[in-house]
Amino acid sequence: MLPPPIETQGLSRRFGLHHALRDVTLTLPPATVLLLVGPNGAGKTTLLRLLATALRPSRGGGSVFGHDLVREPDAVRRVTALVGAVGGVYASLTGFENLAFAAAMTGAASGRPDILTLLERVGLGPAGGQPVRTYSQGMRRRLVLARAWLLRPRLLLLDDPYGGMDAEGADLVSALVGEIRAAGGAVVLATHEWERGLTLADRILALVDGRQADAADVQGVSTSRLRAPVGGAA
Amino acid sequence: MNGFQRAGAVARKDLLLEWRGRQTVTAMVVFALLVTLLLGFALGGDSVRASAILWIALGLAAMLGAGRPMLAEAEGETLEALLLYPGSREHLYWGKCAALGAMLLLLWAALLPLAGILFNLDLWDRLPALLGVGALGVAGLAALGTLFAALAVHVRGRELLMPLLLLPVSLPVVLAGVRLTEATLTREAPGLWLGLLAAFDVLFLLTAPLLFEVLMEDA
Amino acid sequence: MRPVSGLTLLAAGAAILAGTGLVFGLILSPPDAFQGEYVRIMYAHVPSAATAYLAVGTVAVASLLYLWKRRPAYDRVAHSAAEIGVLFTGLALASGMIWGKPVWGTWWTWDARLVTTAMLFLIYIGYLLVRELAEDSERGARMAAVIGIVGALDIPVIHYSVSWFRTLHQPASIVRGDIQIAPPMLMALMINLSAFFILYAFLLVLRVRLARLEDARAAAALGETG
Repeated sequence: MLPPPIETQGLSRRFGLHHALRDVTLTLPPATVLLLVGPNGAGKTTLLRLLATALRPSRGGGSVFGHDLVREPDAVRRVTALVGAVGGVYASLTGFENLAFAAAMTGAASGRPDILTLLERVGLGPAGGQPVRTYSQGMRRRLVLARAWLLRPRLLLLDDPYGGMDAEGADLVSALVGEIRAAGGAVVLATHEWERGLTLADRILALVDGRQADAADVQGVSTSRLRAPVGGAA
Repeated sequence: MNGFQRAGAVARKDLLLEWRGRQTVTAMVVFALLVTLLLGFALGGDSVRASAILWIALGLAAMLGAGRPMLAEAEGETLEALLLYPGSREHLYWGKCAALGAMLLLLWAALLPLAGILFNLDLWDRLPALLGVGALGVAGLAALGTLFAALAVHVRGRELLMPLLLLPVSLPVVLAGVRLTEATLTREAPGLWLGLLAAFDVLFLLTAPLLFEVLMEDA
Repeated sequence: MRPVSGLTLLAAGAAILAGTGLVFGLILSPPDAFQGEYVRIMYAHVPSAATAYLAVGTVAVASLLYLWKRRPAYDRVAHSAAEIGVLFTGLALASGMIWGKPVWGTWWTWDARLVTTAMLFLIYIGYLLVRELAEDSERGARMAAVIGIVGALDIPVIHYSVSWFRTLHQPASIVRGDIQIAPPMLMALMINLSAFFILYAFLLVLRVRLARLEDARAAAALGETG
């Protein structure tokens, strides 16, 4: 049997004296989308960064597709993409240059036509030659999404993908998530706008104050149960 | 995955960013010019002092700019994404180091004719040798500058710490640069200085990439 | 009777040797032909400088071990040795200047050893500063280890560059008095040297113990062990 996309045991991280994340134990089966919900400061981003090997756990550990987070970070990075809110693109480079750089860094065999097709697909075709600093917030989001597409991850970690995104942009998120799930990969989608993510998700995990507050399959979750730890829609 | 290709991509990207903004090289050239003028005026524009003044100007300007390519990554929130590309982080070091080296060499190339005019030096026929001496010194400065920039990224008061860390360890580069430039201008034998500067470069170009990986373990 | 701890032994050894060193340095050894009574400052200066360089070596080795094994214990040794190293570097610089004033007629001279020691002082000030300014202590330990290793690698290069800079280009302005090492003088120097080394070991053990307690308290505050 293939190792699961995500497996963690007691995953914890503190910053100085502050516990950002405590004892998160979870297993995510293949072809699953996990919705990660929780108020601001609940530890959603910390969990994503730990899974992406951007941070080392202070205690506990985990693996991504069987690759240990601490001992084999490079193997984890090969199959994982972390898509942050805005990060990862250079403001002075054009959209095209940003994607070409990402392609060169991963060694992906993406030529000029591939990148142009990708820009078209996320609706940045005409803006591809413009520097990113002229982009609106939503356009930046789309470029960040295009970068994730280019990396072809088997585990996609999306941090708050809906902020500043219009309905068309949200459809792009759905398309990317659907593609990865169809290929047997997994997606973790962290957001406080959980109503938008609910339609995509198979499982749901609520974090409050860095702890696992609740976890369930989406089918069995009522809106009121979610509202309790997480609060209303943002 | 090809390390040269990745390092090349990083260097090209850094130089392209610098070309679009031109902040770092401009600030370094203007600062070096100020130091040269100030020292030249305060100490007297004697051509004997030219090489010392030149290398102090280059060294101080390098302290100012060496952290820039790395700090820009942190400020633009691109450092994490850069570190999460699969593959050895040594490639990132080589790319960053090459880009910084190119910028510093440009600074040196801009300083040379300036010194020729200000200190009345006849350096045109010795230009290749002077550029070579500059390249040797720049290699050492870039090697340690890139390493310490990676360190300063995660420290409060980033820019303040750079000169404090970099200047004392770079002392051999400045001293060797002064003597080698003097030797070139007076057509003397460089003696042991060439070996010392080369040893410094090799020592830190070999160890700094390994230490860089240690610093960049988490973003 | 309780068994005598190693720490007490070190303290007693340092105290006895330092006392003997004082007797040899101040009374039993003769004044120098060139430097007169001032040579006695050397019995404190040379051991200070030697201890400072011993500390640099400790920092480098402990830093290397820390980066390799990632055990906090190595980092505590490196940190402690760096603090003590800064202390002895400061003492070496101060005693060097006190000696230089009557003998060379100036507080400061651009002597290679003095300049190298001053650079050493600055590098390890940076080492301690980085620890203070780091975002978290584990990262600070890694950064400091990097500086500790770079500093130790750089010190010989700095030393050669500084000494050649003065000597290869122009004759040295000051010719060091060729110290005739009379047996009582050598004796005084050796006793003081061993006194300082044992004092260094004592301070290091004490400081490492303190660091361990600090770490344990921080861990207890977090409600976790290790």
